[in-house]
Parts: sequence; C-alpha cells; structure tokens
Amino acid sequence: MIMNRRSLMTTALTLGAMKAFPGLSYAQARPLVFATFTGSWEEAHKAVLVPAFRKANADAAIVLDPMLSVDQIAKVNAAKANPPIDVMLHDPGPALVAIGQDLVEPYPVEKSAYYKDLISEAQEPMGPAPFFQVVGLTYNPEAIKTPPTSWADLWKPEFKGRVGITNLNSTLGTGWLVEIAKMRGGSEANVDPAFKAIEELKPNLAAVAANPGALATLFQQGQIDISPGNFNAIQILKARGVPVEFVAPKEGAIAFKTTIHIVKNSPNRDLAFKLIEASLTPEVQTTLMNPPYLIVPTNSKVTMGGEIARVLAKDTAELKQKFVFQDWKKINEQRSAWIERFNREIKI
Amino acid sequence: MGAAPASRDVTSYGMGLAAPLALFFLFFFVAPLLQLLWLSLHNDTAALHWGLGQYLHFLTDPFSLSVLGSTLLLGAEVTAVCLVLGFPIAWLYQRVGPRLQTIIILIVLLPLLTSVVVRTFAWIVILGRQGIINATLQSLGIIDTPLKLLYTQFGVVIALAQVQMPLMTLPLITALGRIDPNLDDASCSLGAGSWRTFFRIVLPLSLPGVIAGCTLTYAAAITAFITQSLIGGGQMLFMPMYLYQQASTLQNWPFASAISIIFLLAVLAVVSVFTTLGRLSRGYGGA
Repeated sequence: MIMNRRSLMTTALTLGAMKAFPGLSYAQARPLVFATFTGSWEEAHKAVLVPAFRKANADAAIVLDPMLSVDQIAKVNAAKANPPIDVMLHDPGPALVAIGQDLVEPYPVEKSAYYKDLISEAQEPMGPAPFFQVVGLTYNPEAIKTPPTSWADLWKPEFKGRVGITNLNSTLGTGWLVEIAKMRGGSEANVDPAFKAIEELKPNLAAVAANPGALATLFQQGQIDISPGNFNAIQILKARGVPVEFVAPKEGAIAFKTTIHIVKNSPNRDLAFKLIEASLTPEVQTTLMNPPYLIVPTNSKVTMGGEIARVLAKDTAELKQKFVFQDWKKINEQRSAWIERFNREIKI
Repeated sequence: MGAAPASRDVTSYGMGLAAPLALFFLFFFVAPLLQLLWLSLHNDTAALHWGLGQYLHFLTDPFSLSVLGSTLLLGAEVTAVCLVLGFPIAWLYQRVGPRLQTIIILIVLLPLLTSVVVRTFAWIVILGRQGIINATLQSLGIIDTPLKLLYTQFGVVIALAQVQMPLMTLPLITALGRIDPNLDDASCSLGAGSWRTFFRIVLPLSLPGVIAGCTLTYAAAITAFITQSLIGGGQMLFMPMYLYQQASTLQNWPFASAISIIFLLAVLAVVSVFTTLGRLSRGYGGA
C-alpha cells in the first residue's frame, strides 16, 4: 500500500470519527460488548479471556468496555430495550441490584458445558461466578515479625496506631464489617457488635481509607502495617516490591463471587453466552490463576497451583472449608443504614 | 447600486458566534442539570413519587448539615491560606526583572502542568509517617514519634492550597499589574509608610483580583474530590464524597441529586457574596 499524506489524513480522520462517534462503527451489527472492570481486571481479560473467546468463535468481534458496576447498571437501565452492553461483570452487591431491576437474563444452564463443574457456591442461575475475590489480612512482614492469624489480632495493643481499614463504600469494607460482626456474635442482619468492636479498635486505627486502593498507598508509605486486604491487590503490590504479605485468617477468608451476566434484550445473546462459557473453562481459569493475574478459579477441574495453593487452598475441598461466603441479599437490605452509621460514628 | 446597508448599531454584538457554545451548554449542561433537579424532587429511588422528601431529609439532618458546613469551612480555610501565601508572590512578580518574572510564572504554573492525581500522591509522600516532614523533624530531634499529618484536616488544607494555588496567584498577578506604580511613589512621597501604602493603595486596587482568585480557589477546593478523599481518607466526609457514596454505592440517586442541588446552591451563595464584594470594591477603587 502506498502511504501518502492524503491517505494518511483520510485514515486518521476516519479513525478519529470512529473514536468520537462509536455508533458509526456499530451501525450494522454491533460486536459483543463486555463491560469488565477497570485496571488489572481489564488487563487480564484482554490478555486471556478475549483471545480464548475469539479462538473458539471464529474471531467474533468483541469490545471491552471497562467500567464500574454502578455505571454498567446505569447504562443498561437507560436503554433497557436496546442495551449498549451484552455482558456485565458484578460484585455480589451490585449483582443483586441488577437482578432486582430485571436487567439480566437467567443463564442457560442446561446448554452450558462447564456450569456443572463449578463449585456449588459459584453456580448462580442468574449468572455464574467465573472468579472469586478473596479478602484476608494483609501485613508488612518487615514491621510485624509474627504473622497474624485471626481478625482479632487487629485489636492487639502492639498495633496501636498501625491498623488501616476502609469505609463501607467498597465491597471489601462492608464484607469485613459483617465478618467482624459474626466474630462477635452478630450476623448479616445484626452488625451492632461490629460497630462496638470498631469503637474499641479506634486506638489502633491509623487510617480509614476511602477505598481499598488507598490502603495500598498507605502500606507503601508506612502509614499502616496491618489491614484487611484483597488477595489480588496484595499480589500486585508485592510484585512491585512493596513488603506485604497476605494471610487467610483462621475464621476463614471472605470470598466474594464476581458474577458474569447476559444482559436482558442483548442483540448478541449467543455470543454473550459463549463468552461466559469461555470464562468458565478450566483452560482460561488456569491461565488466570497463574502469575501475574493470580485470580482464584471457581471451576473444580482446575488444579490449584502457585501462590494460590500456598496461601489460600490446595484444592476445591480446602477452598470450600477456608472460604466464608456472605449473604449479600441480607447485607443489601441494611447497607445504606450501616454506611450512614459509619459516617456518623467512626471519627478518628 | 443599492442603498448602503443600514448602519449597524455599533454597540450591539453579534450573538451568532456564541451560538455553538450556547447550544453545547444547553445540551450538555443545562439539560442534565434540569434532569438532576427533576430527579431530586422524588421521594423514592425509583423516581415515581413526587415530593420534597430528599431536601427535608438533608436539611433536617444535623449530620448532613455538618458535612455541608465542614465542606464550606474547608473551602474558606484553603482560600485563606492561598491568599496569604499567594499575595506576596504576585506582589514580588511585579517588582522583579523580566528573567525572575519568567521563573516566578514557571513556578506558579508548574502545578497546573501535572495532573491533580500526581500532585496529590506527592503530598501523600510528603505528609506520610515516613514522609519528608516527619523524617526531617525526627532527624532534627524535634519530635520522637511521627506526627499524624495524613488523613487530617490540616493535611487536606495544605495539600489543597498547593494544588489550587495557581488559581489564586494568576488573577492576583494580573490585578497587581494593572496598578500604576506611580501611585506607590506618590503615596510614599506624601509621607505614608510602606504598610500604610499597602493597605490604603495596593490592597484596595487589587481587590478585583483578590475576589476573582478567591472565587476560583474556593469553588475548586470544595469540589476537589480526589485530593479530599486521598489526603482526608474515608472518615473525613465532605460533600463530594457524600454525594459519590449516595449515588455510586447506595444507588440512591434522588438523594444524591438533592445533595448536588443543595451543594450547588450553597456554592452559588458563597460565590455571589464574593461578587457582591467585588462590586463594592470597584466602587471603592474608583472613589
């Protein structure tokens, strides 16, 4: 092909127009649109899931449109009859919101080749869970020589002014609150004991971060030495050379199901199904389990290996025994009241 | 030959040129704002029942009001710090040679050339337990245990002041540049001391700049979601975070809309106080 100034200009303008008005390029048949999460999720899906899907489906066109759960829900809600997204990815709280607002289709379980291989907690008829997120204790091994073993260790007097937590905006913060409530005799329906416990934790609290990502910065800056933390986030920090370690507390690590859903009225229903199938395959889940992604698999056919086998669980049986799943239906009922209470009461 | 075109009124301006921008604002600013208002006038999250419930909820809740109050106070503190630190820089700028002027302008503009996120992260490094301030104070033996600077109101004010400083300094530089330097000399030759000259001549004449700077800094400081949440942390709640929490985490859009409208009105009120002061100051300057 001969490149001259004119053809270059035309190409640039066309590309620019396609960027500015994505509707142009989708005018005929829209490619499959997968709303993943931003950051490491997008990277992992772009590198592993998308190629696997395209290989299995004759290079079908697919677009990753990374955004937060809330934005996914808002976008689909704004155009229910002709949704701009075909496949949504959700944390447990937003997933229930999306299901409650009638935005997702039931997963065609009988057609699925992999659904039955998922561990029972991941088998969600409105959208299966291809990945788990795991929350445990994070600590700085340079400052804390004896690894913590229990959530209760956060209250130890030697961690005065060294503990970080996050507020309840995040799934992590809310899940942790519920776990503390359970430890002190409460439940998903009653988190009073947890609020009392946080009151007692105040002398130890160095920071209440606005989001889990901010905890990472606080570790890097030596502002905190111990906190609840997300397994994946910690692995990313560790890979960058920050001295952090992850342990699953003896009460059990909190596991969140990240579920994947076919959007109701999607024009690409079949491809959406196939993308979700690809995310459930042992091959994709095994690749995503290995470095640098370290995403906890949900397919029981996947043999656990590496850091996940070392820190979390060697096999599905151990995983089920060590993970704690929470009832997000109950949590969602009162979450706004808890957030309000947290706003008012937790001042350090 | 036709008659010469009817002579145009030279005092009128063609509004046609402003139309594209006006249309843009109409679609992308006014329309969403009206939608926001519409949404805020509903009592339930599904936006089916009309009512003023969201506003009542906010205005009768001492906690919500305290969030509004602390946000407005934060803005005032940041503006005051910027004014006190920014004025001498602007004043200096008018009194040095062209080479130093370039350097000053560069220093003033430098913060604008990096992203707010980067600047804010830099402040985390400075204010942290092992940060520059604590390390220096400790090595000088002034303190034994690190001071808590990050996640405090003090930290937020300092970081915001630096981040928003150009918004204060630039209008001040312009305003001070417009003052005739002869006025200074005249004042001095008539026997006024330098402080008297400053308070009676320089300050009143620079008031338009002061007010423009204060308005910009104030509006930017109270809405600075990133800096507020990264330096202030999760337990210091200001309006932008409160809004985000309601809209994003709780999906309570009507309440979030009501918070935005109330916040908008509160900011407009403060800004109109500034503009009123500005109008008065013009009268003063001309007197």
